[in-house]
Amino acid sequence: MIATIAFGLLLLSLVIQIVFLFRKESGQDGISPWLSLAAGILLLIEIVRRSIAIRFVALTGMFESLIFLACFLALLIFALRYFKSAKGNRVIPFGATIIAVIFLALASSPLAPSDIKPPVPALQSGWLVLHVSFTFIGEVFFAVGFVSAILQLVSKDEEKRRSYDRITYTSIAIGYPIFTAGALIFGAIWAEKAWGVWWSWDPKETWALITWLTYTAYLHFRLVRKSTSKLVPALVIIGFVIAMFTFFGVNFLLKGLHSYA
Amino acid sequence: MKAFFDKLYNALRSVKLAVVLLVLLALFAIAGGIIPQGKAASYYIEHFSGAGSRIILALALDHVFSSFLFLLVSAIFAINLTVCTFHRLTNEFFKPREKRRHGPDFLHIGLIILLFGGILTSRSRTETFINLRKGDSVRLPGGAKVVLVDLKYEQYPDGRPKSWESTVAIDKNPPPEVPAPVLAHEEESGDTLGTTGFADPTLNNSLSSAKASSSASAVSSAAPAAPAISTDTEAGHGLPSSPAPSTPIAELPQYRIRVNTPLRLKGYSIYQQNWHTEKQVVLRDAMGMQFFLEPGMRETTKDGFVLFMALDTSQGTGGAAVANVAAAPAAAAVQSAIFLLEQNGARTVVKAAPGEKINSFTFSGYIDQPVSGLAVVSDKGYPFVAAGFILVILGVFITYIRKLKGILA
Repeated sequence: MIATIAFGLLLLSLVIQIVFLFRKESGQDGISPWLSLAAGILLLIEIVRRSIAIRFVALTGMFESLIFLACFLALLIFALRYFKSAKGNRVIPFGATIIAVIFLALASSPLAPSDIKPPVPALQSGWLVLHVSFTFIGEVFFAVGFVSAILQLVSKDEEKRRSYDRITYTSIAIGYPIFTAGALIFGAIWAEKAWGVWWSWDPKETWALITWLTYTAYLHFRLVRKSTSKLVPALVIIGFVIAMFTFFGVNFLLKGLHSYA
Repeated sequence: MKAFFDKLYNALRSVKLAVVLLVLLALFAIAGGIIPQGKAASYYIEHFSGAGSRIILALALDHVFSSFLFLLVSAIFAINLTVCTFHRLTNEFFKPREKRRHGPDFLHIGLIILLFGGILTSRSRTETFINLRKGDSVRLPGGAKVVLVDLKYEQYPDGRPKSWESTVAIDKNPPPEVPAPVLAHEEESGDTLGTTGFADPTLNNSLSSAKASSSASAVSSAAPAAPAISTDTEAGHGLPSSPAPSTPIAELPQYRIRVNTPLRLKGYSIYQQNWHTEKQVVLRDAMGMQFFLEPGMRETTKDGFVLFMALDTSQGTGGAAVANVAAAPAAAAVQSAIFLLEQNGARTVVKAAPGEKINSFTFSGYIDQPVSGLAVVSDKGYPFVAAGFILVILGVFITYIRKLKGILA
């Protein structure tokens, strides 16, 4: 119920943003960021409610993961208004809101059963909580970078392209260390404690590594190609597509140690 | 000559080379993530088109992560990273202290140590799986003896596992193992080659009793060079190793092993991998004494022995299952078991249902014995890997945290 209200708020925010996108005045509307904030807080309450019910941090299923992703993305959409480079930009919050709505729409689909289930022994670990939460928070920044990279690619105005490049780079530069710590380091520590092996080329591990390699390539490529190359934002777009495949595709298509995720 | 080495040095430390190698590594990983790994050649010929299967097999994409090409690219990447780190570090040291930025250095050195740890892990890691019932013991290569004192299994109301927990006693200086005597005629020795008469098998927890500790089951090794881990019974043959009397369990230090909470011993870690039940047949003799046999174990008689071979699977009930201990025996009560009987040198295979006579015994039914699945791991690379993790985390945060300063309005 709480998630449904949050979904409604994000949809309303999306409608308001669409209206403002077609208006000539510059700047973002004053309502949609607050709707995003309200949706984020509601989703946070839902995560806390579920966590109390299972007496563990509710981050062990597909539904909870999607709620978590949408929650932090909604909170980041609100925070974007305080970012120097993204302030006043109407398209990036709009794109990010679409992604948050997609996450919540998927959460309400049969692919993500919403039953509250306490975790099996392998998932009862503080390292798992760090692994999953850091990975998703990193991916939330990658989502903003993804929207910005698309705008960077399609924009014909050189000044706008540079501005989008800066937003893209900032998003990835914040998301990358969080993702590295969460997906690779904390994940490996958890795997060692749970299974006695810190790396096993499990499909999820392999795809998380591919995501990391792609963003690492972006950060290095940007050093040598600067902001004029179209390949630079293309890597960010590819990186986010791979990150989403790692999250959804691997769960449904490839079996491995993470098949309960 | 100097010009050549300068060119080589510059090429090896180049960021462009790093980008190319990162993309190549990502492409290899994508191939390894999409193409099923480690299957027989016939699998790829069957599931991929003619050209596709030929490419997979020619480029060793059926085992990407151990293929020559992948290892070659990884090696060049390691060289690139090392040269780049050296170059960067020396440059940073020539800068004034306040202008130095060591975040990328931490990150790169961490990755180098991580790669070294990874190589060490792949070369030296050993993993051995053991199944222990309560009272069973196992001797680690370092000499320490591990006795399973207790095991607990909890499940949620919906049947999913909630926790697996083993309590083990560690005897760090057990007496040396006494080789089992060669028994020319097992019947004459009067010893039994199976688990022997205990009114309650769950009380079977004394290290000092050869009989009590003679039921450790199959040991399988995942690593080619895994050191030998000996259990008190050679599974399938039921030959006890007759350990000499040692410290009583109550006086040994006891530890709990749970999933996500391994036991760290000197050079080894023991992980709780699973929990399951294993069926044992219960035989009763004329005196009312009970004998518990797992598959492959036998009980001697005056003129031969009775060996429990297997459950009769043709009736549809499996032999071992992850199950609720309390609920399982009733479900299995009607299933037949297959025995090998030896009487005065003549051997016959018989199928018997609970309640039937088998030689001098009565087959009184089954008991589900809980079994703790443990993995004993030795990984000399992990300390390096852990050190690499710390440096990588430090490196990425020091490098990119500065970005936060410039983004807020």
